[in-house]
Formats: sequence, structure tokens, C-alpha cells
Amino acid sequence: MSVTRLAPQPATLEKHNSIPARAGIGLRFQHHQAVLDERPNVAWVEVHTENYMGGGAPLAYLDSVRRDYPIALHGVGLSLGSAEGLDLSHLERIRQVVRRFEPGLVSEHLSWSVVGGAYLADLLPLPMTEEALDLFCRHVEQTQAYLQRQMLIENPSSYLQYRHASIPEWEFIAAVAARTGCGILCDVNNIYVSSCNHGWDPSAYLAALPVDAIGEIHLAGHTVRQLENGYTLRIDDHSARVASDVWALFDEALSRFGPRPTLIEWDNDIPPLAVLLEEAAHADALLRRTERADHARVA
Amino acid sequence: MPALRELQHALYRSLMERGGGDGAAHIRTDGLAAADRIAIYRNTFYATLTNALRLSYPAVHRLVGADFFEASAQKFIEAQPPRGAYLDEYGAEFPDFLAQFKAAMSVAYLPAVARLEWAVSCALHAPDATPLEVAALCAVGEGNNDRVRFTPHPSLSLVRASYPVDTVWRAVLEQDDAALGDIDLGDAPVWLLIERLPSGIDVTRLSERAWRFTSALHAGQPLNEAIDLASGVDVSALLAEHLTAGRFIGFNILEPVTPTHSLESFA
Repeated sequence: MSVTRLAPQPATLEKHNSIPARAGIGLRFQHHQAVLDERPNVAWVEVHTENYMGGGAPLAYLDSVRRDYPIALHGVGLSLGSAEGLDLSHLERIRQVVRRFEPGLVSEHLSWSVVGGAYLADLLPLPMTEEALDLFCRHVEQTQAYLQRQMLIENPSSYLQYRHASIPEWEFIAAVAARTGCGILCDVNNIYVSSCNHGWDPSAYLAALPVDAIGEIHLAGHTVRQLENGYTLRIDDHSARVASDVWALFDEALSRFGPRPTLIEWDNDIPPLAVLLEEAAHADALLRRTERADHARVA
Repeated sequence: MPALRELQHALYRSLMERGGGDGAAHIRTDGLAAADRIAIYRNTFYATLTNALRLSYPAVHRLVGADFFEASAQKFIEAQPPRGAYLDEYGAEFPDFLAQFKAAMSVAYLPAVARLEWAVSCALHAPDATPLEVAALCAVGEGNNDRVRFTPHPSLSLVRASYPVDTVWRAVLEQDDAALGDIDLGDAPVWLLIERLPSGIDVTRLSERAWRFTSALHAGQPLNEAIDLASGVDVSALLAEHLTAGRFIGFNILEPVTPTHSLESFA
């Protein structure tokens, strides 16, 4: 009797998701004290993995936050799309942060940042080619094997496209999830920003994503820049409230995916904590409405 | 169609060379020039790294002002982009860069202040470690005392400066202009110990001999060699202070050097 092993990789990956399908906030240093003092009523927090790779006060702080809130780790530096391969020392640092804080979710980006050993401190877009897809999937598999857990991959916002790209971004990220068993961190603001910048249809983007793979949603504000030549460019600078068009797209995402852990991110011109909590409360209201609609459908 | 590796190197050149490089040839225009699209990524690259340097060098930033700091940071980033994504480790070479940077030479003590700030920044981010219990040393036999070598706490470092950089650093960060005005730049050299305490970073002045003794231990030299550098210092008291302060996290005993061949074997 022959045994055919068809079990897809997702079954072999340990999933740790202890993050509720409610709104969380991106926790930055500017709000550390306020969160300690006020212990705000928010379901979970997410931090940048790279900010907790050393020792001392930041780690002790996060230990204390971890006692009261589920934590997700969001990395910006692994550069999964680098042709030269992963920086194994960076991967080991991520592993150590994961071991210490036992996060509910671990995510990284569909992008590259490292070339010739230099770190370019931004999320550069990959050319959407078969070569890039193969390489990216290899690196996701390598990372998941090293961390011994599933990770989420986030769609980036982008300001350029390559002439030789042959795969739409939404198909690319869906293929990564299908091949590697990773989940998708669906950044709704990024879909909106990239769609406006490149003339894509954001609804079609959402519709192409595999529902079961969506592990988390990101929301943030962006800036609209009118250039001298009349061209309108949207910059994903996380420096404002979520735009109304993005809230509408979020609602559309929820009706397609159902409620998912949803994060409010704010990284520049950071306002008082209360403003983030207001944004989170708005997201929570939409999440609850989706939950009720889901129950109604089931009944 | 360029291979991915080739494309990434082309983009890197375009990013660093400001409009030069061959990355633009691979990018669609669609209403905005490829060079302008690359410039968006270049701006983030410089802004993020300049900010990382500002966080590590806040006193240098205040001493030279925002514009000058940004200009010097940009030159430094161009010359030495980070070798990894863990940015708390970026900028170790900035003090040496400032020492060679012609525009900064009018502030002679700037590189020395920067060296202290780098030590402070490293102490802030150093890994956690459990201090050595004094009791553990009791296991060392009398005869082996001299050959004890300590492992320093990762946050500990020792800096010698030709200017009173510790007082400059404090006055600048506290924006205490009166204290800054009172500083006698001739009050030097200074022998500093930098460490992370539960309450924060501490910068302490030592005597030259105490500093040399501590530096020798920090570098892993055995106790007897460190003691040779410390004439006139109450070594027992200083060692007790280091241990109480948690400045060492382990020790080993240097094996005595014994001849491995008898004379006969050379015959």
C-alpha cells in the first residue's frame, strides 16, 4: 500500500494565535509610561521586534506589559526578499525575542531591505516575478522552520513598480501563503495607498486574498501629497488618523474575512495615547458589528 | 529582465548615488519619474538612520544643532550604512567620523563626547546578565586568587577622555548653561566607568590607577596582572565595590603555564 503524503504544510506549523479578534494598538516608546500608568482597556498590543533585541529597561518594560496584554511581534528588518539570503544573526535575535515574550502573532513584510550586507532602513518592493516568488517562499519557510511557528506576511505600501513584473501583488502574496503555510497580515491602509499610487482596484485586491490565511489586519493614517506636475502620491507615514476611505475598505475587508485581530499603527507625529484608543474603539465597533452579522447569518 | 540580485544592487546604487546608478531603468514611470520614486525610499533611509543616530548621540545633537547634526549624519550614513537591521548597534564609528570631519573640528571635544555617548548607548541596550555572587568566589582556593579572571557585565565599559566629557555631557543633556559655562576644559584627562544600574545609566569618575586596574580586569587579565597596575590603590576595597555593584558576572582561573616539554625532549 502506498501512502501519499498530501498534507499541506499549514497542518505541520504550530499556530500560537492568542490574539483576540478585537482592536489593538501599536505600542511605541512615547506611550510606555502612559500604558503602565493607565492600563488602558485595549485587547492587545503589538511592538516592533527590533526595539526589544537588547536588554535593560525596554525588555523589563515589555515583561510587565506582557502580564496584562497579549502581545504580537511585528518585524521590520528581516528582509525576506533579499537575493543574498537571510541575515542569520538577525533571525536568531528574532528567535530570542519570540522565546522571551511568547507572542500571539509574529509578522514580517513582503519586501526587501538588505543588499550587499547594507540595511536600507525601508521596506523596498520586490519585483513580482517567479524568481522573486520562489526566493521569498524559501525564506519564509526557512524562518518558520527556525522559529518553529507560523508567521504572517504583510503587504507593503509602495511607490514604484518594476517594468518586468509579471504577477499582481495580490496573487503573489496569496501564492506565498499557499506555498509556505504562512498567514497574511492584511494592511488595509497599504492596500489603499498602493492601489491609489498604482491605479489598482482595492476591492479586487481584497477579493483575491484567501480568507482562511488572514491572521491580522493593520490600519494606519497616510499623507496625500500633490506634486508639482499634478501627480497625486499617497505616502504611508503612519502620522494621522485612519482615512475615511480606509475605514470603508476595512468594513469591506471585515465583511469578506469576518472579524480579525486589528491593529491601529501610529509612528510619526505620535499623538496622546487617548487618540490611538479612540481609533481602536472605532475599529472595535466595526468588529463587533461584523460579529453580530456573522451570528445572524449562522442563525 | 534583470535577476533579483542584479536589480537589488542597481537600486542600491541609485539610492546611494542620488539620481545616479542604473536602478531607474527597471522602474515604470506612470506619471512620476523613476528617480523621484526612488527618492521616496532614499528620504526614508536617511530620515530613519539620522533619527537612530540622534537617539544614540543626543548631546552631540544639542551641541552642534539640528542642521549641522543632520548634515554630518548624512555624510556618515553615506560612508558607512548600517550592516544590519538592529539599529541600536548602528553608529559605533560615528565618533571617529566626527574626529575626521573637517566641519566639526572647531569643537575639539566633540568626538570625545560622542565616544562617551556611544558607551552610554551600548550600556542602555546591552543584554541582561546575572551578577556574580561574592560567595561564589569563596570556592577559589587561596593559591589561585592571583589567577582569577573576571567576565564583565555586558553593560560595563571604561572610557578615557582628554576633556571633561562627563561634565559636558551632563550639562548639555540637562540644558544647564550655567554648569556648561563653568566647565574648565583643562580639567582632564578623565577616567570614566560607564554602567547600567537598575535606576539608569551611571557614569563615574575613577582615579587613573583604579581605572587601569578595572580596565585590566574588564579586558580579562588575571587579578595579579591588574594589581601590578594599581600601586597605591586599595585593591581589596575596589574589588569589593565592583562585586557589590554587580560589575562582574562570572570568573575563571587562568591555568598556570607549565612547560609541556622536558629539556630532554629537545635533546
